[in-house]
Amino acid sequence: MKHKTWLSRLGELVVFLGIGLAAPLAHAVPSFARQTGMACEACHTVFPELTHFGRMFKANAYTLDNLKQVRDIDTAKQDMLSLSGLPPISVMIQASQTWLNSPLPDGTGAGHSQTSTTGFPQQLSIFYAGKVAPHVGAFVQLTYENDAGTIGIDNTDIRYANSFQLDHTNSLIYGVNVNNNPSVQDLWNSTPAWGFPYAGTNANVSPLAGTQIDGALAQDVAGISVYAMWNEALYAEVGAYRSAKQGVTNPLTGAAGPLDGTISNVINGAAPYGRVAYEYQWQRHDLEIGLYGANFKLYPGGGAPLSGPVNEFRDLAEDFQYQFIGDQHIFTLNGTRIHETMKLAASFAAVATDNLNDDLTTTRFTGTYYYRRKYGGSISHFATTGSTDAGLYPNGPAPGVITSANGSPDTRGWIIEANYLPWLNTKLTLQYTTYSRFNGGSSNYDGFGRSASANGSTYLLFWLNF
Amino acid sequence: MKSNLMIILGSVLALALQSARAQEVDDSGARAAAAERIAVGTCAACHGPRGHSYSPKFPVLAGQHATYLVTQLQGFRAQTRGDPDALGYMWGMAAPLDDSMITGLADYYAAQVPRHGPAGNPALLARGKSIYENGDAAQGVPPCAACHGADAAGTDTYPRLAGQHVQYLVKQLRSFQNNMRNVAVMHGVARGLQVADVEAVATYLQSLGP
Repeated sequence: MKHKTWLSRLGELVVFLGIGLAAPLAHAVPSFARQTGMACEACHTVFPELTHFGRMFKANAYTLDNLKQVRDIDTAKQDMLSLSGLPPISVMIQASQTWLNSPLPDGTGAGHSQTSTTGFPQQLSIFYAGKVAPHVGAFVQLTYENDAGTIGIDNTDIRYANSFQLDHTNSLIYGVNVNNNPSVQDLWNSTPAWGFPYAGTNANVSPLAGTQIDGALAQDVAGISVYAMWNEALYAEVGAYRSAKQGVTNPLTGAAGPLDGTISNVINGAAPYGRVAYEYQWQRHDLEIGLYGANFKLYPGGGAPLSGPVNEFRDLAEDFQYQFIGDQHIFTLNGTRIHETMKLAASFAAVATDNLNDDLTTTRFTGTYYYRRKYGGSISHFATTGSTDAGLYPNGPAPGVITSANGSPDTRGWIIEANYLPWLNTKLTLQYTTYSRFNGGSSNYDGFGRSASANGSTYLLFWLNF
Repeated sequence: MKSNLMIILGSVLALALQSARAQEVDDSGARAAAAERIAVGTCAACHGPRGHSYSPKFPVLAGQHATYLVTQLQGFRAQTRGDPDALGYMWGMAAPLDDSMITGLADYYAAQVPRHGPAGNPALLARGKSIYENGDAAQGVPPCAACHGADAAGTDTYPRLAGQHVQYLVKQLRSFQNNMRNVAVMHGVARGLQVADVEAVATYLQSLGP
């Protein structure tokens, strides 16, 4: 019983830190191909990584189409309705097998897991992805996940876009979008929501520390932003996010949403989000450099009132992406560095952290190569470093696993994967993840003899989109 | 009375003709504006600003002859041009275009100013120039200049090749050779070209321009 209490406290900590145990997931959908009549390769190098044309398709609100439309116009010949004859529906199935380097303790702490597990499906998604109206498009994903065992809302991006000609050469695309995951609306694969790894095991543990903008608030917020892109090169966006909790009710009244202190990490007011990026193309090369960031003020909740002091997370990130797209060879190099400054007034007052101010930095660099969009692989280095804070990254009784003996969040490692695509919408992946440091240590990081390398895993994935 | 009637009828006819001409001008102006909007807003993502594509995967369209562009767009729309990039990209892009828009887009790109591309290896250029101007009787290759013109600027019937990307030209010549792009004349012309000569003639053509 004592153990269960400890584990449940640990669970709350994980929620506080905003860490999902599942890896970030990202997708591409055949309904776009059906709508445009163009093959996957027009918009993707290999799904889900976008080409320049794919980025423009997204910036223009997914509205390019060649399907027969149900239409209506007014007397001024203005479109009143333009609806695809076929709904843009897609299905995605991910089936996987994970082999852990070392077994994990089970929920009671009394036993250990098997060293391998199967996800069938690990994830099953249905998408509405395509044009809704003349300048409006949607990417809406509903997902069943085997760890949750339920169907829930996944990445969502609904947008209006239009453009006008500045002169005979230059254009300005502008738009508004509503989404549920900071950076899911972004056009490049160097930012968190659509960044590498595009799929990963959900059967292993993740490190304690992660920045808020790096997926911690995914599907838990609603954001609205306005954006503009000049001449398909210079992109700017500003927006704001509010909490939009899913599957949560007030236990007393039954009302939906985060209306009381039982909920964790509720945004105070609206959190600003911003993004600028510049893309330069020459011959078969394409280079992007950019900045993105947000400032989240969160009530810790979890039993405390949703008022008074807040924890403030100021995230500022740089990113870049280089693509070479040849007929035979495709090479991509991208990366990001996210720096988070924390001012934890609420948690510090509640003695849940040792320091009032902490910081955290995550970097990721990924290189990907494909031969004829069929055979390829990626190698990615990731690292997180930050302030030592034994309150935030605590030690604990056995089993440690997701604790830190020295209060440090430092984690680093590599992901190496090989891919084979028999067809453009079908991917077979073998992925190996290894940690050289985990929650502050290489060996005995939890104080109970577990080494960082024990948290590595091998992951076989069959990924099908239709 | 009769002559008055004739005058009135004549005036009405003149007005009607004038109005029809104005309508044509309006239609043509509106078509040009709509085509430019699509060219700048959609086609430019691959074919570049004013038809000067960055990536050699996509052909340069600036200065290409309108008749050739109309034929190709109609071929994409009818799904009769069957080389791989036609299937992957242009069948979808051309599907919603009506004849008027095809004409508008062809006119837009024909009106853009072509440029010459970068020069390549001198030995390749010399070999390419020789094949282009004189053909290679041993390989059964006639001179390209006979149809495409001495400066490769093309005609109403044959496309401009000057300034086109090397990789695009190579891919097209191979598509003619293996009939993925099924054009009988070009299959016959290109059939005998050796790999190195395909590269040479494409390199020479890229270097040409106004």
